[in-house]
Amino acid sequence: MTYSITRRGLGRALVLAAGFAALGAGAALAAGEKIAVITPYLSQPGTQFYVEAFEARAKELGWEVNVIDTQGDVAAVISRIEDVVAQGVNGIVINVDPSQIGAGLDAAAAANIPVVGMDAGADARIKANVTSNGYEMAAETSVYIANRIGGAGGVVMFTFDAFPPVQVRGVIADAVFKNFPDIKVLDRITPDVSDGGIADSRAKMEALLAANPEPGSIKAVWAAWDQPALGALQAIEAAGRQNEGIVITGIDANPQARDAIAAGGNFEASVAQDFKGIGATAADTMARVLGGEVLKANVIYVPTQLVTSVNAK
Amino acid sequence: MVRFLRHYGTLIGMAAIVLVFWALLPDTFMTARNWLNITQQVSMLTVVAVAMTVVMVVGDFDLSVGSMASLSGIVAAVLFTMGWPVPVAVGAALVVGLAGGLVNGVLVSVIGILPFVATLATLTMYSGAAFILSGGKTIFGRDIPQSFADFAKSGLPLGSLGDKPVVLPWLTLLALAITGAVFVVLELSTYGRRLYAIGGNAEAARLAGVRVTWLRLTAYGFTGVGAAVAGLMYASRVASANPTQGEGLMLNAIAAVFLGMTVTRHGQPRVLASVLGVLVLGVMDNGLTQLQVDSYVREVLVGLIILLAVSISALGRKAIGRW
Repeated sequence: MTYSITRRGLGRALVLAAGFAALGAGAALAAGEKIAVITPYLSQPGTQFYVEAFEARAKELGWEVNVIDTQGDVAAVISRIEDVVAQGVNGIVINVDPSQIGAGLDAAAAANIPVVGMDAGADARIKANVTSNGYEMAAETSVYIANRIGGAGGVVMFTFDAFPPVQVRGVIADAVFKNFPDIKVLDRITPDVSDGGIADSRAKMEALLAANPEPGSIKAVWAAWDQPALGALQAIEAAGRQNEGIVITGIDANPQARDAIAAGGNFEASVAQDFKGIGATAADTMARVLGGEVLKANVIYVPTQLVTSVNAK
Repeated sequence: MVRFLRHYGTLIGMAAIVLVFWALLPDTFMTARNWLNITQQVSMLTVVAVAMTVVMVVGDFDLSVGSMASLSGIVAAVLFTMGWPVPVAVGAALVVGLAGGLVNGVLVSVIGILPFVATLATLTMYSGAAFILSGGKTIFGRDIPQSFADFAKSGLPLGSLGDKPVVLPWLTLLALAITGAVFVVLELSTYGRRLYAIGGNAEAARLAGVRVTWLRLTAYGFTGVGAAVAGLMYASRVASANPTQGEGLMLNAIAAVFLGMTVTRHGQPRVLASVLGVLVLGVMDNGLTQLQVDSYVREVLVGLIILLAVSISALGRKAIGRW
């Protein structure tokens, strides 16, 4: 009996010791990992948010993070990937379209250095891309409109199918509006975005307002991103039709859109991406990959949030 | 001593930079693979700097090379989307480069506008043209033929190091070939000697029977074509074309030529010296990245090194002048 207890005690001690050893080894492995974050877009507000959140999480994990900004130069992203591969970093995080930096991804793959994307796009050579779900964002705003107008009336859509991340938003809105037999899509407009998208959207919306002069003939404007929504808002206000109850929604919740939503006018809703969440999740994802986990899904979505006058400020 | 510093200060500085990186990165910096990487990374800048050297020999310069590089990439990419074969589209982009360069040449040499003003104006024009052609968008993905994108990813197999194959990248080879060609033109031909004569004293050259106007004009043709080649190399490397992607090349190319001028006798622009200048910039980028130096600090350091090199050169010249 005593013997057996001792044995069990010994066994437990051994297990504990092994556990500590494993923990120690794990900590040694995790601490001091060198991670390079390479981006051409650090000066853009969204990028800054997720790079900062990534760094904060990486600090908790004990990583050494090197943030490299190539200031818009995509070829330099390839060069810097090659450099950090030569340096022998443990992991690389990018936020640029993978199809443009294939040579760099090849170099990382040849050296078995994992690459994680932050809002980058999917690619076989990227372990996982952490981003927002465009389908979900479009569902939020299109359903918001359908509910606000009681599932009936004319809706104007602003889409941009040439740009894949925006194209998926339009697909969902199409499906939602189609599911309401009394909602009629008056027009599906692709604005000219070379001037930023607001001015041309405004012009297109002014033409539509002129073509539909009856109050109530246009119930809502669904825009696949904020700029056309802002343009439509300007057109509606310029035409003096802001009191007809036309509901406008955008996506991205940029500062200008938030201001417009907070003002309580026709622009009622947009969707905010959780940039900080994307950064932190990218770090967690890298930690999983470094821990040897094989990720099943190579796209990881971070939840987004509907922004209305309640939470716009 | 002053003379020695004036001629060799920059060279010593360059050697010191390499030695410092070698010491701080003993395992990864001084490797064949890393140096092949560096040569590939600087290949586009090399072509622009070498082409820029041609106009700087004459005493002019060209601010439009960056936007011409963007434009040539866009021209090729737009033609790809229209189904043109790769060689034809690339040829068309080169023709655009030559034409753009000659326009600069006419403005500067025939009409007599200051190079700074003329090429600043064409900089915005070529950039605008790139935006118009592309509609402001990045052309990528299936629109770019695989063979065009593969060019920048492959090279001449050199054998293998350990278990991995070592290749001399095509981009490096192309940069070498263009450097060689411009070297022959500037250093070994009568044409080149005449360009140097114009740069030394245009009036004297004219009186000696050199066709100054015509030669200055043609010099800009080299720069235009060089910029177009670099733009195509860039587009191949990123397998896409964007109307702003060549922007960074112009200032770096001018910086490289200036750096190179600090090692040449009489402070003249020389092709091989310009390549040396490019290598300094490339090695700084590579080494400082590997040392995890903040990318913004890196820029300050690169600027400081240029100032340091040029200062040594200038002080040296002043001291020599006093004697």
